[in-house]
Order: sequence, then structure tokens, then C-alpha cells
Amino acid sequence: MSIIPDTPTTSDSPARAQGEAIAASFPPLLVAADRVASTVAQGVHGRRRVGQGETFWQYRRFEFGDSPQQIDWRRSARSDHLYVRQTEWEAAQSVWLWPDVSASMRYHSNRNLPEKQERAAVLTLALASLLTRGGERIALLDKPEPPATGRAVLDRIAMSVMRDMSREPDNEELPVPPPLPRYSTVVLISDFLVEEEKLLEFLGRLAARGVRGHLLQILDPSEVSLPFRGRTQFRGLESEGDLLVGRAEALRESYRERLEHLQSELRIFARRAQWTYACHHTDARPEPAMLSLFTNMAETLHARS
Amino acid sequence: MLTFGTLSFAVPWLLVALASLPVLWWLLRAVPPAPSRVVFPAIRLLFGLPQSEETPHRTPWWLLALRLLLAALVILALAHPVLDPGRLLRGSGPLLLAIDNDWSAGDHWDIRRETALALIDEADRESRAVYIATSTQAETTTRQPLRPLSAAEARDRIRGLTPLPWAGNHAALLEQIEALDLPGSATAVWLGSGMAEPEAAAQESRSRILEAALQRLGALRIIQPAPSEIPLYLSESENAADGLRLQVTRVSRGFEQPVALVASDDAGRLLARETANFPENALTTEATITIPSEVRNRIARVVIEDTSSAGATMLFDESSRRRPVGLVSGDIAQVDQPLLGNAFYINRALEPFADIRTGTIAELLERRLAVLFLSDIGNLTDTEIESLNRWIAAGGVLVRFAGPNLAEGSDELLPVALRRGGRVFGGVMSWERPATMAPFDETSPFAGLIASDEILVQRQVLAQPSPELAGKTWARLNDGTPLVTGEKRGEGWLVLYHTTANAEWSSLALSGTYVDMLRRLIALSQGVSTEATTGPLPPLSNLDGFGRLSDARTTARPLPAGDLAEIIPGPAAPPGFYGTPESRLAFNLGPSLSPVVFESRAPGVELASYGPSEQIDLRVWLLVAAFALLLVDFLISLGLRGHLPGRHAATAAALCVALLGASALLAPSPAQAQSSDLFALEATEQTHLAYVLTGDTKIDETSRAGLSGLGQILSRRTSIEPGAPIGLDIERDELAFFPLIYWPMTDRQNPLSDDARSRINQFLRNGGTIIFDTRDQSLSGIGGVGPGTRTLRGLVEGLDIPALIEVPQDHVLTKAFYLLQDFPGRWVGGQVWVQQADERVNDGVSSVIIGSNDYAAAWAIDVDGRPMFPLVTGSARQRELAFRFGVNLVMYALTGNYKADQVHVDEILERLGQ
Repeated sequence: MSIIPDTPTTSDSPARAQGEAIAASFPPLLVAADRVASTVAQGVHGRRRVGQGETFWQYRRFEFGDSPQQIDWRRSARSDHLYVRQTEWEAAQSVWLWPDVSASMRYHSNRNLPEKQERAAVLTLALASLLTRGGERIALLDKPEPPATGRAVLDRIAMSVMRDMSREPDNEELPVPPPLPRYSTVVLISDFLVEEEKLLEFLGRLAARGVRGHLLQILDPSEVSLPFRGRTQFRGLESEGDLLVGRAEALRESYRERLEHLQSELRIFARRAQWTYACHHTDARPEPAMLSLFTNMAETLHARS
Repeated sequence: MLTFGTLSFAVPWLLVALASLPVLWWLLRAVPPAPSRVVFPAIRLLFGLPQSEETPHRTPWWLLALRLLLAALVILALAHPVLDPGRLLRGSGPLLLAIDNDWSAGDHWDIRRETALALIDEADRESRAVYIATSTQAETTTRQPLRPLSAAEARDRIRGLTPLPWAGNHAALLEQIEALDLPGSATAVWLGSGMAEPEAAAQESRSRILEAALQRLGALRIIQPAPSEIPLYLSESENAADGLRLQVTRVSRGFEQPVALVASDDAGRLLARETANFPENALTTEATITIPSEVRNRIARVVIEDTSSAGATMLFDESSRRRPVGLVSGDIAQVDQPLLGNAFYINRALEPFADIRTGTIAELLERRLAVLFLSDIGNLTDTEIESLNRWIAAGGVLVRFAGPNLAEGSDELLPVALRRGGRVFGGVMSWERPATMAPFDETSPFAGLIASDEILVQRQVLAQPSPELAGKTWARLNDGTPLVTGEKRGEGWLVLYHTTANAEWSSLALSGTYVDMLRRLIALSQGVSTEATTGPLPPLSNLDGFGRLSDARTTARPLPAGDLAEIIPGPAAPPGFYGTPESRLAFNLGPSLSPVVFESRAPGVELASYGPSEQIDLRVWLLVAAFALLLVDFLISLGLRGHLPGRHAATAAALCVALLGASALLAPSPAQAQSSDLFALEATEQTHLAYVLTGDTKIDETSRAGLSGLGQILSRRTSIEPGAPIGLDIERDELAFFPLIYWPMTDRQNPLSDDARSRINQFLRNGGTIIFDTRDQSLSGIGGVGPGTRTLRGLVEGLDIPALIEVPQDHVLTKAFYLLQDFPGRWVGGQVWVQQADERVNDGVSSVIIGSNDYAAAWAIDVDGRPMFPLVTGSARQRELAFRFGVNLVMYALTGNYKADQVHVDEILERLGQ
């Protein structure tokens, strides 16, 4: 594969070495994303559905409620039933993807689990792959490149995600989105472990522009269950500070309530804005998450048409 | 030392620290365990959560116990506990200690004394009486009967006991034991030296009888040093021509044993150290201290290093010192027959025990000289006589031999006046038969020597009769005429032999008497006078049991004159110096010693050896246990903090520790040194072509195959038969073994280290040739520079590369074996660069050759003999030319400018034509 990221101009050799190491893992990552995408594609048949377009799609028996203008008389004349002519849906949408690569995403509680950002990258690329197969135009939310379609943009996005993953993480959790056109779609894949007000404000601003959105929260199992015991000193990944706890197990219930509160806030926001929200744990397989995300997207895309 | 039965503590006061354990317990309980550190992204959700229980986690009680045990183990280990099962005293009844305190005890006397004191402690605990018998005693008086001592008395007795510098007397000890009348049984412990008195052929040795006598008392334990620990002694010394030769003797054989001798002067300054080694089955070994004779003469004592006993110390007096002797011979005419000359005889006679210098009188007198021999010197000049007189007055001994020159006419520097006129009395005609020698007078310096009656004197010079002639005569013929006359002048002596130093006038020079007489004369010099052997010699200073020289012992008597070898050292004659400070005589213990090893063969005797070897030092084991506990504690703490995910981590940690330990043990290995020798051997047994290992396996394999292909061509076509090519690690391997090194350039070439650079420079300067192959002819366009060239440019910085030119038309490289005009490799057209020709340097061979045609690839053949790489034109001709270039290259590197003459062949032919 000819995908070797441009060597960064920085002479910082560890960073470069890390970048190269991640670049070396790029094909496997893309393959994993492809594998996820292909299972999903088989499940929903992609974009091949009825919609506005030029191309003939199918004849369907006239049903009550169809407009009489839709009747194809030539086809209907050949049999005893009335048929409606349907065209294939061809409206291309622009989809803006955002995999979170902040420091808190670089975490796995167990060596056998993938890091959250790795799972986010796989899902992003799988989604991108599916979308490009369907002819959608895609772009990254925090990058200046305009939406485009085709295999080339997939590679570009992949490369960009890889580079972000290999870079020193910043603590800037939320991106500054470019001016998004109405009716475009954003997909935010993150752990959403930021301050709640900031998060809701950011989401609200996006929703206010009439943008459709899909939230996929990625959590490590330990972030769900807080499995720690005994005297524990917690340390955040984004210089939030330390917390010394006498008995970690005593916090478990109240922590779970907090987390559920955050998740319900997100769910409520999604319902109000007609967005979707899903949660994915890194110890689960990525395919179901992908399937549900893509189905949600397909439904909303279709619903709009 | 604190003792509980068989367990004792070397540093008992440290046990006080055990009292601190409860404090430790309290501290460990009070301090909560360290928190486990957890990285947690969702920490924001944790902030501000109510913490219902802040009570710290307590350290579990079993961990506390573990840590306390750890601390206790460390404290106990520091107190150095020693388990000594041999301490316990067996048997019953009084304790009888038989102690060998002879010369050999000096070496480890402390241990022997400590052992005795420990035994007395043990007896004290059981309230037993103690008898102490020693093998040597300081007094000459007869021994007192043994009497029971209280523990305190016994301790005082032991503390007052010292080793004595002579051999033990087991017979006397035996008498004491046998005189002992004990009511019941006793426990005997023999603190032996491991040596027995020599056994007479028929009778049982007294040491063995003593053993039996001791065993009869009850239980017997013999403590004696291991055979390898029995002290050595210096048994003989000889001042030989090549150095001071010393003989070291041991009593047990069967193992090799190194020994070092240290020679020092009167003031204790170290003069020399010499080592020797006992072969496995030898009882003696010799060491020769070879140092200049002036220094050798200052040797006052030689000691076996790291020992302290009288036997291991050998004292030297002046008589044994090699003296510098001058020799001036007048018989120049006999230069062509040196074996008949006077000088030859004197030389052979004196060489074993003196340093002989030759030269003129003036030259010889410039240095310190003990004796000067003038052989057949007729007339001395006035200045010579004057300087000789001064020298004699200061203590020199001048010995003159008669001869034709002296008989013709002599100066006045003679002990007696010689007859003038018909002074020479000689010839067979004058005697009925040649004269023999009369026995030496008692007053003569030669007294005691035996004048062999085989000595026949045929000619001699005759002394003027005078009243004092008889007093000056040291040796005479049977008819009374003096043969050797001498006279004391000042501090020195003037001696005249009335015959020649060789066998021309008499057969004296052929007899052993001649040598003995010369030795006596040399002994006369430098303050050693005949008085030394005439009267009893008062003790001057004596060795003590530790080989230290101290004041004369009170029991020491004057040493009778005569053969010292017959005097056995003992209380009356302890070894040391005798005589006067000016002329002292060394009396050594070593020559009189002849002990044999004592091995107990009696059944029921408990055998033990001295020293801590039998003790079990518990410290190490305690420390090991503490360390293991520390490791366990470490793992447990890790587990408590949540850093140990599973059982695997624990086993991995344990494995790591084990591996670390093992690697620390194995780390220093001499393999590298051996391998470098092997490498040198392999590289030099045959001529090898070499290539530089680049680290790129493919290129290295190509280089190897290329050079081996070239080697096959060379063996087939030329007289060069190189061995298998050798890959060189340029940073490590020695380059000097290889005439030609092939160095392909790769982009992975690392910059050279300074060391490698200097070694390459050294190699190039001393006639080595390196061919750099940039292998980039295919990649460099017209005027462009390929990657290999770039690498090369970076590489040669810091190397001594001379100015280079393209190979000229008439360069030797074009005709070293084949006539060539271009040098193809895998590629064609690349230029080859060589050093500008300079016939004076390195035989005109360029130290650096640079090409770019990837030669190794063209030469490379696989195991089946087929070429490994296609060539750029694909023609067989190109491969052939590539091989020819290779042949030329090797020829050029090996033979130099031999073919350069061909350059001038046109001119030569032209000249021949004329």
C-alpha cells in the first residue's frame, strides 16, 4: 500500500517513530474498519433504496394512498394490476465525522482491550467506508478539507485520523466546527467525558444550525463499573488533577448514578434535537454498534428525503 | 562473642535492636498502606462525590507479621550468628590439652590459641580441670610434671604461650603424658601442627606413640591444619651465579601450591619478590631471585610471603653474599687459546659464588670490588700501585698469581720479596719429582681444607727468606717453600700465589682445592674474617616464633665454631644472628628441619581442622531468607495496589529475578578474548579476502558470494589461492590481517566511531587496500551522484584518503594480470578511482580504490557455481571482464608495482633497438 504518511517536519524523532509505528498499523486498522463495514453493508444493502432520483429502481403494486400521478400506465397495461414506478434515491448528503482523539480516549483498563480512540477510529473509518460506498460525501469535522466522495477521501481521512492518533494529545476536548450547511449530518464518536455544560452547549450550537447528528459514546468497561478497591489515588488523563479515595468501592454506586445522569442528559438532548444517541463499550464487538449507528443514519437520511 | 551452646554471635550487641520490633509494629500499623495509583479518564465524574468512609485501609496483620519477621531476620543476620557444632566437648573427666607450639604454629597461632581458649571455656562450663602440655618449651631445664589447672589459670597459661622457633619435641611431651596419673578417664585434645617428627625406618614415630598415649587417657580429638594449610619452610639457599636460589619445602604432596618469596634488606626494605609453584607431587620447589648482585648482596632475609614462622624465614649473613670480584689477566698472548688462559681457570672457579668483572685495574676499581685477581701481571705502574694500596687499606683483597711475566720482573706490591737474579726456581730438572702440597697450617686462612696429594707443582717463584716469611705463608709445599703467601695491610689483604692460575706450572688449578682456596680468599674480603669460625659466637639476635628478629633469647648460648649443620636449633641455639655486629653469622632453622606429615590412623580418634571452615555461618542464609521475604513483600504490595493483574505477572517477576541473578553470575566471561585469538589464527593461516559487514544481510551475502567466486577464479587461474572470505565488523575486528578489503556502500552505513576510524587509517597507512564499491552506477545519472557515493562521502570524513584520480590508461591496475581497458561489474561505465601514483609510498599501491559497478554482484556465484545476479548487458563477456578486473585487483594489492615496469616497455624496447 502506498499510504505512508508524509513525514512530519518536526525533528522530534520519538514522535516520528511513534507516527511511523502507527502508520505501520494503518492497513490492519483499515482492514478492520472494512471488515466491520462489509458486515453492516450486507445487512442493510447500503443506499439501494427508493428515493428521489433519475434511475429506475422498481415497479411496485399501487397501494392505497399513492398519488395517481405515480402510476406507470405502460407497465399497468400489461397486467391486471396497477403499478407504481419508483426511482432510486440518489440524493447525496455530506456527513461530517468526528472521532475524539483527546487524551482521555487513549485509555484501556486492560491490555487485552483496545484503547477507546482505537475503537473510535475503527468505527469512524468503517462508517466512512460505508458512506463512500453509498456515494455520500464525507469530511472530518475538525479538518478544513471540504466533503468529498470516493476511495481517495477515505484514504485521506484514514491518514488524518492516524496522524491525530499519533500526535501528542491535547486537552481540547471539543472541536470548533466549520460553518456547516443545513441538513448535513454530523457523527460524533467520543467518550463525552467533558464538563457537562460545555458539552451540551456545543451540541446545542450544532443542533441550532439544523444539523442532524448522531452521538456514539465509547466507554471502557472500567469506566462503567468502577472496579477499583481499597485506598486508591485516581489521576485524570487531561490534567484534571488527582483524587485520593480511602475506599474506592464505596464510591461505586454514586459514580454509576453520575454516569447514568450524564448518559440520560445526552439521550434527552438527542431526542429533543431528533438526533440519535448510542453507547458502546470497548469490550463489545464493534459490528453491532456500527450496524445500529448506520441504521440510525440511514433512517434519518431516508426520512429527510 | 556471645555463645549459646553451639550458636554464637560475632556482633552480639546488635541484638539489642530486636527490642525495636514492637515500635516497628506500632509504626507499621499506624501508617496506612500506600494507595494504589490508577489512571482514570472519567475522574471528572468522581470529583465531589461524597466519601462516606474515610477510615484508611489497615495493613493486614499477616503482612505486618511478614515485615516484622523480615526486620528480625536482618537484625539477626547483622549480629552474625555462627553455628559451630565442633565446639562441644565430648567425653568426661579432666581436659588435657596437648599443644604443638613449635615453629610451624607461628603462622596461625591466633586460631590455635582461640581454639584452646574455646575448649577451656567449654571445660569451665562443665567444671572440668585442665592440663596443658606443650611440644616445645622455652627453657632448657627439664620439664615439670603436669598439674591440673583451674580455668582461669589455664587461660593465663594459654595467653602466655607463644610459638617457639624450633621443632617440637614429642618425645618429651610423651614422657610428661606418661608420667600423668589420672584417676579416671580424661578428654584429650591435641592441637597439632600436622607434622610428625621424621620416622626412623624401623621404629614407630614418637608422634604416633604420643597419639596412642593420648588416646589411652580417654577420648582424643586431634585438631590439625589441613594438609594445604601446613606451613612451608625454606630449607636451603645457595648464592648461585644466576641469582639467589632458594628451596622451599612442604610436608604433604598431592596438590599444586603457589608460593611467593620476599627478600628484604637489614632495614626491612623490600628488595625482590619471586614466585614458585609446587608441582602436584613434589615436596620441594625452587625459586631463584635474580636481581643485580649489588642489590642481591643487601639481602638480609628472605621470607615466604603471608607467613609468619621461623621456618619460613631465612637469614643471610655476609658470608653467603656474592661478592664482586675483579679479574685482570696479563696473558694477552693466549687470546687465541682462551681455554688454556689463566683468566679461564679463575673464571670457572669463581663463577658459582662471585660476580666476576674484567677490565683494566683503573676501570675495576671505579666500582665497589671485594677481591681483585691479578693474574701474571708483572709490573704495575706507580699510579696503579698507589690506587691499589689505597684500596687494600680500605679493605680490598688483592690476589696475585705468578707467571712468566711476574717471574721476569715485578713491582713491589707483593706480600713477600721475591728472589732476584736466579729468582725463578723451576723446571723438572730441579726436583727429583714435582713437589706436592703440605697440609695447611692451623693459622692459615685455608685451615681445614684438605690439600689433595694429587696436586703437583712444577714451577714457582721463590720468596726471599726472611724472618716473617713463615708467618706470611698460608700454604706451603712439602719441602717447606711457600706456595701462597699473604699479608694484612690496613683493613685488606695482599695475597700472592707463587704459581700460575692455570695448569701450566702446577696441577693445583685442576683440583677442587683450588676452588675451595679461592672461596676462602673471597670470604676474607669485606669484613668477614677467619675469626668468625675460630671461636664460639655469642648470640646477637634471635628469631621468635613468628619469624621476627628480636633480642637474643636468654636461654641462647654462644654457638660453637665449626660446622653449623651439626647444631640442631633449640632453646640453647635458637635461629638468628650470632657473632658480632660487624661480622655476624646467620643460623637458620630451615636446613635442620625434616618433618613429615602426620596423619592419624588410629581408630576412634576424632579429627578436626582449625579455623572457621567447620563453622556454619548463618549470616548468609539469614540474609538470603530476608531477601526472599523482601521479594515476597514486594510482590504482595504490588498485588495490594492492583499492579499485579494475574498469576502470570508474579511468575514473570520471579523469573526476572532468577534471570538477573543468573546473568550477574555469568556476566564476566573470557570468551571474547579467546574468540579474538581464534579470529587472528583463522585470518592468518591463509590469505583471505575480506569484506566489510554492512548489517544488510542481502548485501553481506552478496559480498561473501562475490569474494568467494573471485577466490575460485583466482585459485583456478593464478597462484593466489585465497581462503574463504571473511566478513569484518569494521568497529571491532582487527583489519591488519587482510591485504584487500571490499567495502560495499549501503544507505544503512552508520558513521564510524573514532576508534574504527583510527584503525582504518592505521590499516591504510601500513599498506592495506580498501576497495569501496558505491554500487550506484545504475542510479547516478550523468553528472549526478548516486546514494552510494553520498554514503561514501559521509563515510570517508576523517579517513586519510589521499588525492584520487581516475585510473589512467597505463595504470598498473590495467595490466597487473590481464590487459584491461575498462572495469565492468554488474553495471558498466562507472569510473574507478585510485590514488595518484607515488612509487615511494606503499610500493605504489593505491590504499583506496573506489568503484561504482557493484563488483561483488558480478563475481557472486551460488553453491552450484552459477552466477547469482544477471549483468546489465547480459553478456558472458562482461562477467569475464568483471572477473578479470577482480584478478587484476587482487594481483595489484598483493604484488604492488611489479607490473609497473610494463609501463616502460616501449621505452625499454626502443633502447634495446638502439
